[in-house]
Amino acid sequence: MRICEAGRLAMIKLYDYVLSVNCYKQRLMMSILDVTYETVPVDFFPGWEHKGEEFREINPLGHIPVIDDDGYILWDAHAILVYLAAKYDPSGLWYPTGDPGLLGETASWMLFAEGTTNTASAARLCVNLGYDFDLEACQAGAHRLFRVLDEHLWFRERSGGEWVCSGPHPTIADIALFPDVVLSEEGGISRLDYPALRRWTDRVKRIPGFEVMPGIFPASPGR
Amino acid sequence: MSPVAADPFTMRKGGRMSPVAADPFTMWHPVASVHDVPYRHVYHGQLLGRELAVWRADDDFVNVWENRCLHRGVRLSIGSNDGTELRCQYHGWRYANRSAGCTYIPAHPADAPARTICNRTFPTVERYGLVWSGEEPVGDPPMIDVLEAGTPFGLRNLPVNASAELAVLHLRDHRFLPSDRLGAGSAEPSVEMSVDSADEYSVTLTATDGAGRSSSGSGSSSGSGSSSSTPGSSSTAVFFVQPVDSGRCVIRGVLAETPAASEQTAVLRHHAVELNRLVGAIEAEAALLPAPEPMVPVLQQVPLNLAEVPEAPSGRQAALRVQVRRKWETAAGVAAFELVPITGVLPTFQPGAHIDVHLPNGLVRQYSITNGPGETSYYRLGVKLEPDSTGGSVCLHETVREGDVLAISEPRNNFPLRRDSMRTILLAGGIGITPLLAMAQALDRMSLPFELHCFTQSAGHTAFTDVLDGLGDSVVRHLGLPPDETVAEIRRLVATPDEFTHLYVCGPGPMLEAARREAAAAGWPDDHVHFEYFKNTTEIDDSSTFEVALARSALTVTVPSGSTILEVLREHGVPLPSSCEQGACGTCVATVLEGEPDHQDVYLNDSDHQAGDRIMTCVSRSLSDRLVLDL
Repeated sequence: MRICEAGRLAMIKLYDYVLSVNCYKQRLMMSILDVTYETVPVDFFPGWEHKGEEFREINPLGHIPVIDDDGYILWDAHAILVYLAAKYDPSGLWYPTGDPGLLGETASWMLFAEGTTNTASAARLCVNLGYDFDLEACQAGAHRLFRVLDEHLWFRERSGGEWVCSGPHPTIADIALFPDVVLSEEGGISRLDYPALRRWTDRVKRIPGFEVMPGIFPASPGR
Repeated sequence: MSPVAADPFTMRKGGRMSPVAADPFTMWHPVASVHDVPYRHVYHGQLLGRELAVWRADDDFVNVWENRCLHRGVRLSIGSNDGTELRCQYHGWRYANRSAGCTYIPAHPADAPARTICNRTFPTVERYGLVWSGEEPVGDPPMIDVLEAGTPFGLRNLPVNASAELAVLHLRDHRFLPSDRLGAGSAEPSVEMSVDSADEYSVTLTATDGAGRSSSGSGSSSGSGSSSSTPGSSSTAVFFVQPVDSGRCVIRGVLAETPAASEQTAVLRHHAVELNRLVGAIEAEAALLPAPEPMVPVLQQVPLNLAEVPEAPSGRQAALRVQVRRKWETAAGVAAFELVPITGVLPTFQPGAHIDVHLPNGLVRQYSITNGPGETSYYRLGVKLEPDSTGGSVCLHETVREGDVLAISEPRNNFPLRRDSMRTILLAGGIGITPLLAMAQALDRMSLPFELHCFTQSAGHTAFTDVLDGLGDSVVRHLGLPPDETVAEIRRLVATPDEFTHLYVCGPGPMLEAARREAAAAGWPDDHVHFEYFKNTTEIDDSSTFEVALARSALTVTVPSGSTILEVLREHGVPLPSSCEQGACGTCVATVLEGEPDHQDVYLNDSDHQAGDRIMTCVSRSLSDRLVLDL
């Protein structure tokens, strides 16, 4: 938190829609990093405010989330995660720039998360908000990715790892993937076949500072 | 074992495995592996079309339940496992470890779910690193010789979008390398596969290195043993196929021998690659077949005893037989007992509940269950020795020993705990700790704020200190206070009532009277002050004679002096449950429709007495000539 010249708190503004997984990724990251922010609600549905002229002055692509950090504007959910972790995580563990191997893994799984967003979360938009995507293709694509991720996480567990990347600490890749995975059933994608994926969602829910959004429930305390 | 080449398969793909198929609904199947059920997690499983919620409690019991909350049918697999209970995520219904009995319904302000609300459970056995269950399994899960003799090692399970039958067919052609031939050399070993055994839901395969096979071969070489001194390596794996649904299954592989720690990852990777290849082939074939209709599990009907008004039990029912597993002195003059069921599972209880204990000397006494949530495999009681009592506590202290069998009633809760208040104050005098201990543990587990004030003579007179220690700063011990200071302390503790706080008191009569008096003086509403007496010390006046009309039974009886309403009704065949029969426990309550009760009990509070709409039939009588009861 910084104080501006007027003594006013300088605060990150998040252009936000409460049901958006990509906005939730930012809220979750900032909650975990204990970053104070304010939200600017965007009437995503049914108002389509993000497609309106006024909003396109902020983001010409017409999508959310967007952050305004004291005049610095950034869009694209996964890019914002990079920025937030790089700037506001003094431990350097969430976005591990000091470890090239881990950084590469993080980037790789962030790209994987683009896939889960475009399949699992797209299926959710079809079901919940009536988007005109090919629902079956989205669901099949999500299942293909979940199979890969479940096997990956199963082997991570076998070597004592809890997170998507191989370090002992979660990274922004966990944050990028988590909402797409944990809300998949809203898009008609069961996680019954992905037990390691389900266990990982419990672990994410137990990260200090974790917060929920509609459809996501907290986990019981760990043992 | 026979080599594949000689007599590989007696059936062809697409054919049936066996002329007489076993009934999968009476078989044991693996439904999860041990990795799937870590503590504080709920595994989402499925068997024969039925979804399952599988969870391990902190006491290591693995629960296999129907995956539906009895409330709205919500999946319990999205619920949370707090180590002792499973909490449904939607409306917070809680179900106990082992019994699956419902322990808490949030919308029920008095926290009084019927003990009979019980989720459907399925039998569970852990074997070979797998959790076995079944719809109505007969006998025990299969014993597999190679796994019994070996050191079983679980492979990664693979879900398959194909029938179990098709997966088993393909598994017979499955190939893998012996564990110690992985990464050992660059040369591809020549491996012989053999099918050791197979049935509808499992295939046992052995991979043998070609060199090994020849070395142990049929004596074609007459040379000395030196050339075959390197034993051929082989690995045996059992692949269990769990029929998830008609068109889905899970392959659960178990190696007979655990590889050396340094090789385990390589072995697991190898099997993952080979099994992924196999799954690809199975699913490619399944995709060409018509999709089978999904299985439709028969969901449990609402039990009749929930759908209908249950027959009222009459008298003191000693429905359960329990054994004293442990008896110990928990404080000076206080014996603790752990009672375990002789068979089956103990009924679910709620905090505040008590049981009747039928003693060897013929007496029947009530004792509170002190257990915390999830402690469902036994009931723990605390009994204070009262040498001047009529013989109940003396009998338990002096006669009853470890190993003895006792008859007890099912738990009954006439002292329910509200779990919707913001703050709870528990005041325990001496052995009055027992019901409040159960309440404190329940509140603690749910992270609800509470204070438990224990008034005892000394630290040595404080029972269950091990449990109290586990409750941390919420417990306040008040040791050795004389009566006037006890009253002053209680006055201080209840000084600021508010509408979000509830008060529970249990202890000796004078302390309880003082607490009720102080609470009333401080302005506590009656319905926020809850109490339980050990006994009714009121002198009962049973001199009146009056008429009791039973509105539902169309029966009118006369209660003469010297008899109780309860006794007269029983003589006329009207069943009424009872427990303490001295107006303290609340079990024999009846609703008053007309007339003015002559209350002589200590169960109801002053407001209840003034309202006059309930009566304790074991001691209370009538001031009016006629009393009409809703019986």
